[in-house]
Order: sequence, then structure tokens, then C-alpha cells
Amino acid sequence: MKAFKPVLALTLTCVIWGLILGYVHKMTEPRIEEAERREREAKVGEIFPGCQFREENGIFYCFRDNQLVGRAVEVETKGYGGAIKVLVGINPDNTVRGVRVLSHSETKGIGSRATEPSYLSQFENLGWGDLAFKPQGKVEAVTGATITSRAILEAVREALTRG
Amino acid sequence: MAEERPNLRWEAEKGILRKNPVFVILLGLCPFLAISKSVEDAIWMTLAFGFVLLGSCLVTSFSRRWIPKNVRIPIFVVVISSFVTVTELIIRAYSPTLREHLGIFLPLITVNCIVLGRVEAFSSKRSVLESLADACGMTAGFGLAIVSISFVRELLGSGGLSLFGRSLVLLSQPVSGFLLSPGGFLVMGGMLALLKKLGVI
Amino acid sequence: MGLLSIFLVTLLINNIVLTRFIGLCSYFGISSNLRNSAMMGMAVTFVAVSSSAVTWFINHFLLTPFGIQYMRIVAFILVIASFVQLVEIIMRKTMPRFYSAFGIYLPLITVNCAILAVNLINFEEGYSLPASLVNGLATGLGYTLAIVLLAGIRERLAYEELPRSLQGAPIAFIAAGLLALSFQGFAGIGG
Repeated sequence: MKAFKPVLALTLTCVIWGLILGYVHKMTEPRIEEAERREREAKVGEIFPGCQFREENGIFYCFRDNQLVGRAVEVETKGYGGAIKVLVGINPDNTVRGVRVLSHSETKGIGSRATEPSYLSQFENLGWGDLAFKPQGKVEAVTGATITSRAILEAVREALTRG
Repeated sequence: MAEERPNLRWEAEKGILRKNPVFVILLGLCPFLAISKSVEDAIWMTLAFGFVLLGSCLVTSFSRRWIPKNVRIPIFVVVISSFVTVTELIIRAYSPTLREHLGIFLPLITVNCIVLGRVEAFSSKRSVLESLADACGMTAGFGLAIVSISFVRELLGSGGLSLFGRSLVLLSQPVSGFLLSPGGFLVMGGMLALLKKLGVI
Repeated sequence: MGLLSIFLVTLLINNIVLTRFIGLCSYFGISSNLRNSAMMGMAVTFVAVSSSAVTWFINHFLLTPFGIQYMRIVAFILVIASFVQLVEIIMRKTMPRFYSAFGIYLPLITVNCAILAVNLINFEEGYSLPASLVNGLATGLGYTLAIVLLAGIRERLAYEELPRSLQGAPIAFIAAGLLALSFQGFAGIGG
């Protein structure tokens, strides 16, 4: 009987906390989905302001007055410090509407410069053929941040092939 | 013989300076150096840490008479990791970006030596009020440490501070090295040397 | 990502201690003695690899099929703690002499951030079983490398006359910082 008590205590602890966690998970799951959706839509809204979105297979289709204005594709690529999540807004004629970086772990001050809106604005209105570094294409990399710049370029190219 | 009234204020205050968990006892370093790149992150980290510490201390202190000695560590571990899980779910529901920002260091609170240390050494043996006071003090000490280091690193490393949407730029030529890992170690070393010199620790 | 790539990146470029700041608690506590550091490093490597295997199975056959991934923090830490306990028991029975030299490190490994971290990373990166094992090995070896290097430096520093305010923890951090600085040199390799 003496050996029984510790086992009982541990098992009881696990069961109680298992139930508590299950409950908390159930309560937070809808909120989490909602928060994630809200944040994603906010980011898409930066590229396509004033649109209604419909999501299909991870791609956001944007409508204004029931007209398809474009699509937004999220691409994950590997940068210098880890994964970079890039959101690419694409016009119906398959040119780039806008690019935003959702998350990254690039070096602050160096690689991170390639994730800023001021750098990303150069992608606007570029077509498939322009998406290469100069002189072949029209994209300029950040000096000293070749890896990050390349990762973002790859992401934009990948996005155009989707949807 | 009357029982001595626990000095709650003393229990709380010791965590801030005399027994500061980070600067004096050198515990809980993992999240400390990684999250101290920005004051805002540091504040959120302290809140998450505090929630886990307070919750775990409360629960273990409350149930201390029912926890058998030989199986206490696993039980502590279940309690602490459960609180960490709850914290993670709550933060995700509030702001997925914040969750990503804190990264792996949020779940790593589970093995934060401060939490396990306080639970094992203190709250599993003392009354609920005393444990609460101790946990508050330790959280304050942790917060003080992490925010002060972040303050230095963010200011020198990115040239200014950026808190809750408002920015203040002070330096035009920041030294980004402070934000990288060597900078973290060096700032900590410098801070410890300074505190030692001042006789604080 | 190729297995060799994972290995090199985790070992050098993204060194778990010097670059990612994980595993520090025991790092500064143990690294004043070179021999202890080497022992600790070996122990960490062993537990890192084995726990990576066990948690992979748990994730694959328990957490994912039942959709309870949110339980992973609790599950992983219990696995690690139980595993270390098991190793301790086995070691005490079968290798008592080794145990008396080595045994005190075992409980410390349970709370070693690096161990829990590597298991979480395996999960988050979605590594296959081979990749998880490689990541575990590289993490353990990276930790060992970092701690042995620092211990070497600290043992030498013990013979120096340092100003009072720098003795002990402060100089250890500064030394670690310089070590981390040198590891930054690996940063360009492999991309």
C-alpha cells in the first residue's frame, strides 16, 4: 500500500492536468483560429485595401464589388537565419502587386533590410521575366545580404506559380 | 509557543535584489539572453514567466501536504509544464505574432531553473501566502534583470526604443552587434561586473 | 534539407549555446572545470539523441493521430525526465563506478534547456526520424564544443589576476561573448 501512494498521486496529477489542458485547448482553439485569420487578413489588406477575401487552399482571393482584384499567396522560404514567410499580392495579369514579409529571423540591420517595405516596393508591377537579379532582371539585392535577398526573390517567383 | 508570523514583505523583497534570481543566483539564463533584444519582448516574457511561476508556486504550495516526497519532481514538472502550455495557448489566442516572436523560449520556461528551483526549494514547503510573496519577488527580480539588459541592448543595438507601437530614436549610429549573441553575453558580463563593483551583488 | 547540412548548421553556424542562447544555466555552472564540462557534454549528447528518437515516436504515434499536439510540452518533458531517471537506474546497477563519477550530471540534464529545445525543434521543423537523430547529435556535440571551449578558457583565467568586480561570473560571460564572436565567423558557410 505504501508504494501505491506515490503512483496514485502522480497518476492523479497527470489526469487532473490533462483534463484542465484539454479544457483550455477547447476554449482557446476558436479564438486562436480567429486571431490567426485576423492577422493574415490584415496583412493581405495592406496589399489589397478595401477588399473582400475568400480563402481557398491557402490562397486569398480578393474581390472588390464582386470583381476579382487579385490574389495573395503566402510562401515560406529559407533565409539566412531561418524560415521567412512572404506574402505576395498578385494582379490578375500575373504581375506583382505587392510583397510583405510576415515573419523572419534575419540579421537585424543587414538581412532585415531586405524585409522592409521600402526594399520590397521594387517588386511592384514586375512580371515573371523581370524576377531575377540585375542585370538579367530588375531586382536589386541588398548589399551584404545576398542570402536574404535571394530567399525573398525565390519566394516571389514561387508565389507567381501558385493559384 | 506562538508561531512566528511570516514576514511577507521580506520574502517578496529578497527576490528583487539580494537574491535576484538572474544576477545573483544566475538562474533562468536561457530566455534571458535571447529575449533581451527589445524591451517590449522582455516585458512580455516577464509576464509569461510570472504567470507560470505564480501559478506553479500557488498550486504546489496549496497541495504540498498531499505530494509524496519521492515522486515530487515529476509532479512539479507536470504542474509547471501544464502552466506553460496554458500560457502558450492564451498568448496564441491573443496574438499569434507575439507567440512567434517569443519563439522557442516560451515553452522553454518549462525547464527554467528559476521556476523549478523556487517550487522545489520554497513553495512546496511553505504556506500559500509566503509562496505567493516569494514568487512575486522573483518575478520582479527577473523582470528587473531582463528589462535592464534589454534596455541597454535595444538602445545601443538599434538606436532607440520601440514600445507598444511608439518609437523613440536616440542614436543615429547604432552598433548592431549588441543585438547579436556576442553582444548579449558581453552586456551581461558588463552588467554583472558593474553590479559587483557597485557592491550590489 | 540534407542531413549533412542539418548537422553542420546546428553544430557550428547555429550553435545551440553560442548563437541560440539555449542551454546556458548549466553552461555557466559547470564550465569552470574542464573535465566536468566534457562529461556533461557527453551526457547531454547521449540524452539529446535518445530523447529525439523517443519523442519522434511519441509525436508520430500518439500526439498527431489524436490531434493533441498542444500536449507536447508536457509529454516531451515527462519523456526526458523519465528517460534520465531510467538511465540513472540502469547505470547505478550495471556500471556503479561510472555512475559515481558521472551520476550527478544526470538530473541536471533534465532541466537542460538544450534537451527540451532540440525535441521541440524536431517537432517544429517536422524532421523525419533520421533528421531528428542527426539534429540531436549535432545539438549535443555543439553544446559539448561550446562548453569545453569555455571551460578551457576559464581554467586558464583562474590563474590570472583579475579585478575583483570581474572575477567569477562577469569574466565568464565576457569570455563566452568572445567565443560567440568567433563562432560568428561560421555564419557565411553553407547559407
